[in-house]
Amino acid sequence: MHRSKATTSLRTRNVCLLAAGFCCWLVLTISEPIAAAADPQPEPIVFHRDIRPILSDACFHCHGPDNAKRQGELRLDTGEGVFEERDGYRVIVPGDVDKSELYRRLVTDDEDERMPPADSVRKLSDREIGLIARWIEQDAQWQAHWSFIPPRRPQVPSVKDTSWLRNAIDAFVLSRLEAEGLAPSPEATKSTLVRRVTLDLTGLPPTPAEVDAFLADPAENAYEKLVDRLLASPRYGERMAVSWLDAARYADTNGYQSDGDRIMWRWRDWVIDAFNRNAPYDEFTVDQLAGDLLPDPTLDQLIATGFNRNHRGNGEGGVIAEEYAVEYVVDRVDTTSTVWLGLTMACGRCHEHKYDPFSQKEFYEFFAFFNNVPERGRAFKHGNSPPTIKAPTWLQQERLDDLQRKLAAATDELERLEPQLAQAQREWEESHALTEPVNFSVSDGLITHFPLDGSTEEATGHIQEKAKSDSQDEEKTEEVVPASPPKPPHFGDGLLGQAALFQGEESINAGNFADFDYVDKFSLAAWIDPGELTDGTLLSRINEIGPLKGYDLRLDEGKLQLNLVTRWLDDALRVETKESLQPNGWRHVLVTYDGSKLAAGIKMYVNGLPQPIEANLDELNQSFQVAEPFRIGSGSLSVGRYRGSIDDVRVYDRVLSREEIELVATPDSIDKLVALDSSARTETQAAKLRAYYLAHQAPEPIQQAHRRAKALEAKIDTLIDVIPTTMVMIDREDPKETFLLVRGQYDKPGEKVVPNVPGALPPLPENAARNRFGFARWLVNGSNPLTARVAVNRYWQTHFGMGLVKTVEDFGSQGERPSHPELLDWLAVEFVDGAWNVKVLQRAIVTSATYRQSSKVTTALYNRDPENRLFARAPRRRLPAEMVRDQALALSGLLVEQLGGPSVKPYQPAGLWEELSGNSYQPDHGAGLYRRSLYTFWKRTAPPPSMMTFDSAGREMCTVRQTRTNTPLQALVLMNDVTYVEAARVLAERVMTSPDATAAERIAEAFYRVTSRQPRSGELDILQQGFDRYLGNYRENPAAAKELVSLGESPPNETLEAAELAAYTAVTSLILNLDEVVTSQ
Amino acid sequence: MNPFFENQAQLTRRHFFGRLSNGVGTAALATLLAEQNRDASANVPAGRPAAAALGSAVEQEGLEGFPNFPATAKRVIYLFQSGAPSQMDLFDYKPGLNELRGTDLPDSVRGGQRLTVMTSRQTNFPVAPSIFPFSRHGECGATASSLLPHTSKIVDELCFIKSMHTEAINHDPAITFFQTGAQLAGRPSIGAWLAYGLGSANQDLPTFVVMVSGDGGQPLYDRLWGSGFLSTKFQGIKFRSLGDPVLHLSNPPGLDAGIRRSMLDELAKLNELNYAQFGDPEISTRIAQYEMAYRMQTSVPELTDVSGEPKHVFDLYGSDSAKPGTFAANCLLARRLAERGVRFIQLFHRGWDQHFKLPRDLAKQCRDTDQASAALVTDLQRRGLLEDTLIVWGGEFGRTVYCQGTLTHDDYGRDHHPRCFTIWLAGGGIRGGMSYGATDDFCYNIAENPVHVHDLHATILRCLGIDHERLTFKFQGRRHRLTDVAGNVVNDILRQPPA
Repeated sequence: MHRSKATTSLRTRNVCLLAAGFCCWLVLTISEPIAAAADPQPEPIVFHRDIRPILSDACFHCHGPDNAKRQGELRLDTGEGVFEERDGYRVIVPGDVDKSELYRRLVTDDEDERMPPADSVRKLSDREIGLIARWIEQDAQWQAHWSFIPPRRPQVPSVKDTSWLRNAIDAFVLSRLEAEGLAPSPEATKSTLVRRVTLDLTGLPPTPAEVDAFLADPAENAYEKLVDRLLASPRYGERMAVSWLDAARYADTNGYQSDGDRIMWRWRDWVIDAFNRNAPYDEFTVDQLAGDLLPDPTLDQLIATGFNRNHRGNGEGGVIAEEYAVEYVVDRVDTTSTVWLGLTMACGRCHEHKYDPFSQKEFYEFFAFFNNVPERGRAFKHGNSPPTIKAPTWLQQERLDDLQRKLAAATDELERLEPQLAQAQREWEESHALTEPVNFSVSDGLITHFPLDGSTEEATGHIQEKAKSDSQDEEKTEEVVPASPPKPPHFGDGLLGQAALFQGEESINAGNFADFDYVDKFSLAAWIDPGELTDGTLLSRINEIGPLKGYDLRLDEGKLQLNLVTRWLDDALRVETKESLQPNGWRHVLVTYDGSKLAAGIKMYVNGLPQPIEANLDELNQSFQVAEPFRIGSGSLSVGRYRGSIDDVRVYDRVLSREEIELVATPDSIDKLVALDSSARTETQAAKLRAYYLAHQAPEPIQQAHRRAKALEAKIDTLIDVIPTTMVMIDREDPKETFLLVRGQYDKPGEKVVPNVPGALPPLPENAARNRFGFARWLVNGSNPLTARVAVNRYWQTHFGMGLVKTVEDFGSQGERPSHPELLDWLAVEFVDGAWNVKVLQRAIVTSATYRQSSKVTTALYNRDPENRLFARAPRRRLPAEMVRDQALALSGLLVEQLGGPSVKPYQPAGLWEELSGNSYQPDHGAGLYRRSLYTFWKRTAPPPSMMTFDSAGREMCTVRQTRTNTPLQALVLMNDVTYVEAARVLAERVMTSPDATAAERIAEAFYRVTSRQPRSGELDILQQGFDRYLGNYRENPAAAKELVSLGESPPNETLEAAELAAYTAVTSLILNLDEVVTSQ
Repeated sequence: MNPFFENQAQLTRRHFFGRLSNGVGTAALATLLAEQNRDASANVPAGRPAAAALGSAVEQEGLEGFPNFPATAKRVIYLFQSGAPSQMDLFDYKPGLNELRGTDLPDSVRGGQRLTVMTSRQTNFPVAPSIFPFSRHGECGATASSLLPHTSKIVDELCFIKSMHTEAINHDPAITFFQTGAQLAGRPSIGAWLAYGLGSANQDLPTFVVMVSGDGGQPLYDRLWGSGFLSTKFQGIKFRSLGDPVLHLSNPPGLDAGIRRSMLDELAKLNELNYAQFGDPEISTRIAQYEMAYRMQTSVPELTDVSGEPKHVFDLYGSDSAKPGTFAANCLLARRLAERGVRFIQLFHRGWDQHFKLPRDLAKQCRDTDQASAALVTDLQRRGLLEDTLIVWGGEFGRTVYCQGTLTHDDYGRDHHPRCFTIWLAGGGIRGGMSYGATDDFCYNIAENPVHVHDLHATILRCLGIDHERLTFKFQGRRHRLTDVAGNVVNDILRQPPA
């Protein structure tokens, strides 16, 4: 009776914890009477279990959905095809094997007639032919493929041994076991359970205190309380995120060729948070597939759409953009259909699906949903590719809000001071007429300034010697071959003092200034008198000869033109004014670039006024830094030198504001402005005078207030600069047309298509938007036969190591049948009816008696069911890669727990990146070495090797199926990787610091910490004997001991004897290497 | 206690102590593994799955029924020249181009084929004949340029395919295509397919070993030796010249072999005890894998230690062969791996991407690779290993006959050209001293006998006794193969064409 008491209390907890329906999980245990055992007669043939898989695998390739490849006009994937009357015979005559042509063709001795044909790879076994014969004999019932039939809540089966049941899951499992004549295994010990479920729900092992508490808790629902605590832990989100990141092919690099970095961790953190707040699966789905199309999407909903931007992006030189624009969309279709529908839509790219009822046209209708992103086929080689958004963390947002509040206050203060300021300025102007010339301009961010007053030597301003970045060029920088030395310019009357005069042969080699790169912001400004407007370079830092590389500002057919060039034509950016300048006369020219790598990041001004501009080339992708000087009046000799005058060149390392640009373009000196009557001053003249007065002459309190406001603005700019961007989905306003692509080729468009869902699935509702939003809602509106089944199956895999449908990625005709179809359907229906509540689903799974069994296996059971498809025992599984490492860090105490943030670089053997590419891996120091593995920087073309050794997904493409291998390389990692040796040593230090303990007690404590159980005496003896040997050895070799305990960046505890510490380290390392420890058992 | 556990425990204990007492027991363990190792993710296509780990070095068999035919090659050494060597500067002699120097490539020849965006916006496409002299060599009279003095001497052993062509026009997809039969990520590499299909021929070393050399130029990617949708145990193991030859091979500093041995003994005993409790065969497998790791700690350094090689061997491969990490040193190691029965030895040498300054940089590439490539063939031949070792030399596509950038009298560059290029093969049942296929006068199109990447793969598999249409793995509902849905064995280059 206490079982039912536990049930009641659980139910209460369930409701209050998760506030969802879902009552049926728990109530059946008391209600069902003992049912009859399963029918002992040979089982009747079930078409979709026994027959369809054979037909699909052996026949559909030529007699399936593909119209183009169909042979003999025979179709075996539909009931019509199978039963149709053909010329005087029928393919199948229900109940009559002899009249069924299909059967005859399977067994005929005539080589030419027998199916599958002799040259086919696929042959039918006698058993398979026998099944088909029996099916025909049993009247050949036809059914659609099981997964396309919507799940209906099945009756919870009756079982004999109701005492074993804890919830409905168990009834489904036990009923099958009873039918098979098997019994479930006994419940696992409490210490096994606490470790199993803690690892399973949080990815980390329980602490000794947690184990103690659970062992000491006599309550009937102690386990359920434990599960609830774990589900509420923020570690739960970190644990659950990993497989979602695998599915979403999340990584920190772009994945092709140079494999440059990208920043998508804001999306990763969104996933962790979504799990932790138990976002319902329908919301989780819609936010990620179409968050941008929700009304007034929040920042989080926009970030979530990064799901379908996580695919790789190709920035390789020379790629044909249209080709990759198609690949990205194909990847989205493939990933989305795998993750939500368990369908292999990708087959439809080139031809009709061979096995499932999807046409090529339907593939492109699906494709059309995801083909409307304003993206470029050629991704940026480094960094995020548009469309992106700024995605502040909540901390950054808080700080930004705070600064903006302060700025508003400072601005109010300035306004309050305005009358006082105006008064003071008037008084100053009246009393302090300036007699000496005073020049004034914008100085913030001024890198260099050439007044060009008779000499080239007087550059002023902050001279910035930028370190050369290690650019990832495809071609090395050409060595500079000295050109014939140009003449120095003459100087003559300028606009501001003197100016440099150029006649096509002169150049000023201004030195190593302004070494900007393609991600830097800058502004270039000068006064020019271009004479007759011949082509020529005004300012540059570009190769004089050889391939164009660098940047220049020049005149081209009278237009002002900026070029940023890494490799001319395919890695370059060219922007110019739409209109030609007027010939002759002084005017101020200024260009700004915001470091965005885009033509849209460039603005051009003449005399302080913005100019209409156009981009002729917008393909900048890599560093354009060159070992050339900054030149005035000259650049690449292929363009020619300038003819005209240049005065007052200014270079800034930031984008000047409109006001600042006007100020820079106002030539008048301050003394002249003061001398002007205030009513005669233009607006910009007045602004310049005001700026000067504020900076140099105003009363100190006013200057202070002004500086305060400016400092706040600068802080805000700095903060905005460091706010991460993240890639998002956005739909173009003018929808892009989508065409069927013949044989899947990007350059072979066929019929035009519009977004739609495959005809074999329920249609989009009448009023649904024909976009990603409509699509996402359709996935989760409850009518889709696949979405919930696929999702619950993946969670089953999470906890049992294998899905009820083993092919979690394929629920189609070629996928495996579910081992427990009714259980799958029951879970799916419950999931939808329970408002897609993920934690409730998982709670039901891990609190089931099925999950709580022991994983011990007898030889008979092993031989009967080696893969454990019947669940007569709990799964015994090697831990996933990230858990293997996180566990070692946690057990030692080295683990640094911090939710989210930029990815980190833990230990990695030196040179791994370098030997494959030009990039180098710089491991972090401190906390970055010890964070949970889901925060490890993931470079797709060279992923972290120890993770890969333990079967991590490579993240180049969507992966939903788990694999587990058992290899000697894993042994090498656990024995020798510094991560594990250091963890062993720090764990040894932990147990050594307990006072007055014997070696045996310390070893036992280490064992308990790691395994959550006490060692048996035989085990302890083995460890103790080993320890004695190691200790003897290290006492003889103290230097070796010192070496071993010094491994890793955390300093060893100097108060401990090195030899003893080394010996304990060997013991703890040994314990960390136990099979039991890298296994959930 | 359950008798099963007792029995199994004794079995493994017996193996275990058997090894301890006489240092053997490996074979027994391997047998145990073959019985017990099961990979939950493996599926069973035509035969049964490979028994145990491959990358993992445990001796094991491949799929049932493989090889399908008598093999002419037992192993492959693939010398991949990453970046795409220029076929018309090395092998494919086009004397007629000299007269056309600087003239525009006729549209009729270009035929509207797509170009990379690096040159598609060029206003003209000036023909750039090779500036390197060619001559005839060997009895077969094969042509090779002056950049390849050593390769020139062994042409009678080589089969040049001058009509290779591929589909990709950029490095990443093109290399991926050559290594996996698909341009996009996700498919198993050739070596992984072989490991899966044929299993291992050496119990102490990985079945599929990768070595990289060269710096600068195009990057490489782990996926090029990855296992794709096959189990990760089939992926290539990279042997490195820096640090441990195999990652984490060495014991940590301060932990000597004696302590390691003792730790492994304790570990095995403890795992045995747990096995007696739980009965999971994975535990036995893990015990065996630790022993295998321990053996690798000896066998791999022994393999990579070339100090015992006589001077004339270093002379043969060239002075670079004494410098770890060079192409020449890797070629020497490749021979040592071949001697030990490693099935697929994959070298990558970077730096063949001569868009600009081709004469200077191509000459350098050849200096780094020519002698050692030829030496490997010669060395294997002397040792009688060339008979059953297939060597493949080549890059991912060819280069354009027209100049990228500015054509001067002694300088030019070439863009990517997937439409035709040259590779060579040797040994392992391939006919030596022959040239197969031909290009047109501009070295721009194939004039006869085109060989697609899938055809090359089919041919390599054929040499190993594999019908490329039968080596399959079911994933996402479909039986995938290295050659996708294409590929024809190039029978004409086989020494003994199938009857």
